[in-house]
Amino acid sequence: MSEEKLINEDSFTFYKVDDSVSEVISAPEYSYWKSVFKTFFSSKIAIIMLIIVAAVLLMSFIHPMISGYDNQDMSNINNPSEWFLRPSLKHPFGTDDVGRDLFDMVWAGARTSLFIAIMATVITTVIGTIVGMFWGFSKKVDIVMIEVYNIISNIPFTLIVMIISFTLKAGIWQLIFALSCTSWISTAYFIRVQVMIIRDREYNLASRTLGSSTTKIIFHNILPYLISVLVTSISRDVPHFISYEVFLSFIGVGLTERVASLGRIVQTNAKYMQSAPYMFVLPVFVTALISISLYIVGQTLADASDPRNHMI
Amino acid sequence: MKKYIWTRLLKSIISILIVVSIVVIMLYTLIPVSKIFENDPARQKLKTNYKTVYTYSRLEDLGYLDYYTIGEMCLAKDSQDINACITAGSDENIRVLNEFEADGFTVEKLQQFDEMQGNSIAYRYYGVLELLGNFYKKLIVIDHPFKIHDPKNPDMERGYSIGLDHNNVPAIKCSGCEYKYQLYFNTSFPFIHTNALKLNFGISYPTNAGVPTMDVISTGQGTMDSFEQTFPTGEVLKSPILQHTCKYKYETDHLDQKRFDDNYANCALKYDSPSMIQTSYIFGISSLILAYLISLPYAIAMARNKGKFVDKSGIVLINILIAVPSLALIFFVKYIGFAFGMPDKFPQLGFTNIKSYILPIIILALLTMPSLMMWVRRYMVDQSNADYVKFAKAKGLSKKEISRNHILKNAIIPIVNGLPSSIILAISGAVITESVFSIPGMGKMLPDAIKSTNNNMVITLTFIFTSLSILSVFLGDLLMTFVDPRISLNVKEGDK
Repeated sequence: MSEEKLINEDSFTFYKVDDSVSEVISAPEYSYWKSVFKTFFSSKIAIIMLIIVAAVLLMSFIHPMISGYDNQDMSNINNPSEWFLRPSLKHPFGTDDVGRDLFDMVWAGARTSLFIAIMATVITTVIGTIVGMFWGFSKKVDIVMIEVYNIISNIPFTLIVMIISFTLKAGIWQLIFALSCTSWISTAYFIRVQVMIIRDREYNLASRTLGSSTTKIIFHNILPYLISVLVTSISRDVPHFISYEVFLSFIGVGLTERVASLGRIVQTNAKYMQSAPYMFVLPVFVTALISISLYIVGQTLADASDPRNHMI
Repeated sequence: MKKYIWTRLLKSIISILIVVSIVVIMLYTLIPVSKIFENDPARQKLKTNYKTVYTYSRLEDLGYLDYYTIGEMCLAKDSQDINACITAGSDENIRVLNEFEADGFTVEKLQQFDEMQGNSIAYRYYGVLELLGNFYKKLIVIDHPFKIHDPKNPDMERGYSIGLDHNNVPAIKCSGCEYKYQLYFNTSFPFIHTNALKLNFGISYPTNAGVPTMDVISTGQGTMDSFEQTFPTGEVLKSPILQHTCKYKYETDHLDQKRFDDNYANCALKYDSPSMIQTSYIFGISSLILAYLISLPYAIAMARNKGKFVDKSGIVLINILIAVPSLALIFFVKYIGFAFGMPDKFPQLGFTNIKSYILPIIILALLTMPSLMMWVRRYMVDQSNADYVKFAKAKGLSKKEISRNHILKNAIIPIVNGLPSSIILAISGAVITESVFSIPGMGKMLPDAIKSTNNNMVITLTFIFTSLSILSVFLGDLLMTFVDPRISLNVKEGDK
């Protein structure tokens, strides 16, 4: 006769009730940043462009360290055999009119230009966003700021850069200062319009009724909504600033001969467009490559950072 | 609405004045004085005290400071004995110098060895408010019949009269004014002209030295262009003189007397090439037309076939045009154009050859196209999701009909808003394109003027650009209310 298994109190143990489990809604897990990356990497062009951006960034920040390029080093100035060499293995981009290696020069220039563009974008975006938030949110601020905008946006930009470079001496930081000085207001204006569109939505009204302060509404309710708009504006700004540096160097404002920059290279080599086209075409190609890749990566990232694009 | 327009106009004028004031202050206080003389060959040739004296009198002409030589100081302080006053070291001399020093002037003794050695000069840099005061005091020049005082012609008639000009068109004439024709009509834009009110921004220096800045940018370029005309004396001559612009001339020669029956003989001349403003405008407007002709249909096609090949290729094009630095784009197009036999500089073939215009216009159009295409497509796509479009579809209208009659009409509103500013701002020229092709236009003028510290020219251009852009935004808003009556610019009661 087999022993009968008895079910008694010993068979049971107490289980602690966990209230939080009942709170969980069973839905697919959603993580904002994970979705951003997933959407971003689903675009093949964006991946290619991202690789180019990474390569360009690495090249322009590491290559000048290795090559130790100095724009004022003209050791070959009396050695005509080193002038105007066509692209070869030793000089991938050839050499210029005083025998400087163009490949080294282009990457040193790319570093300067990228540094200027990125710093100016960071400064402009931070100041522009903060000002734009309050500008769009308060109608009293708007009355004053719209007049300030009318005024600042009408002062010729080149004028400010020239005056700053005259008074503070030409240099990288002066140029960054000059670039940010006038650009922040257009970013602020752009943000203002975006804020005005969403400031009177129901959820903000509800938030205000519940007693949120203006600062809290701005930073908790509106700022997250603006991420994709901000990324779009950043992805436009970086190529824009690169382009502007090129423009300023071209008209002879901005940086001095001491530092190489893409703008200076394009400007000085423009006169060889017919006689030694590689000297002009290659730097222009690199400039265009940097701008396009940064722009497309930025645009795709902007699309990806908009939660409305995350639904499948 | 009327009230809105007036306040808006007033605000615009105030904005323009503030911008100009800021620029005046920046130019006069922030740019080091030494920069001004870098491009002055006359000063480089001078030596010793002459150089010092030249420097200060130049600065006085340019409006930086108030400058007195010893003779002027003596006169200013009502010295009884001029000879004693200008002798260095005399009591009278010391009294005058001390008085000037007390007035805030810096008194300097010329040290270098030449005949002016030992003489004193006094100067005082203007403060910010004085600079602005001086600028606005001479800005607006109003012509009136009591303006001319000619000792040789003491009892000239003074007053206005309505008469016929040399083309037998009615005009308001004036005797005693600086200009003979106060109001006249001719065939050039804007058809009705006046000389009664002029803006005076001072003279250009060091480039085009001595010419008023407004004349530098608005007078024709090239060689003089003679044409047949009848002069007031009845003489019919081939001459480049523009009779409408005649000013009073104090000393008339026999040539003038042959042509004119009065003293109004100081006239502007006609040139065969357009002025800087006109040149920029020709390029601006033609490129604008080209840009609109290409981008509007393209953008509409993109919006209609959203997601298809036309749309995708268009987006790629827009992205490339936005991302490539404009300078690189300009050189790229120029490089291709050169291969097709286009001139790489404007002056090579000049104003008369159509080939000089092709490349710059294509480039300018390419630069305006991407944003235009992007926005038109955006507006069209946004509209196509609206309820009225769904309703139109439900009514059974064809896609083409909806797109043309419903969507386009609504999407065109924001485009209309931007239209005046693009037309008016086409005048301001394109800085890089004009530099690259060496086009003698206004766009190139601003960086050139800044580089050569041509302050008056910078102020003039700032004034023109600012007024144009502020007024064009205003016009755009007005035009928008005209196209779409639902839009009201009035602030309604109850608006937060």
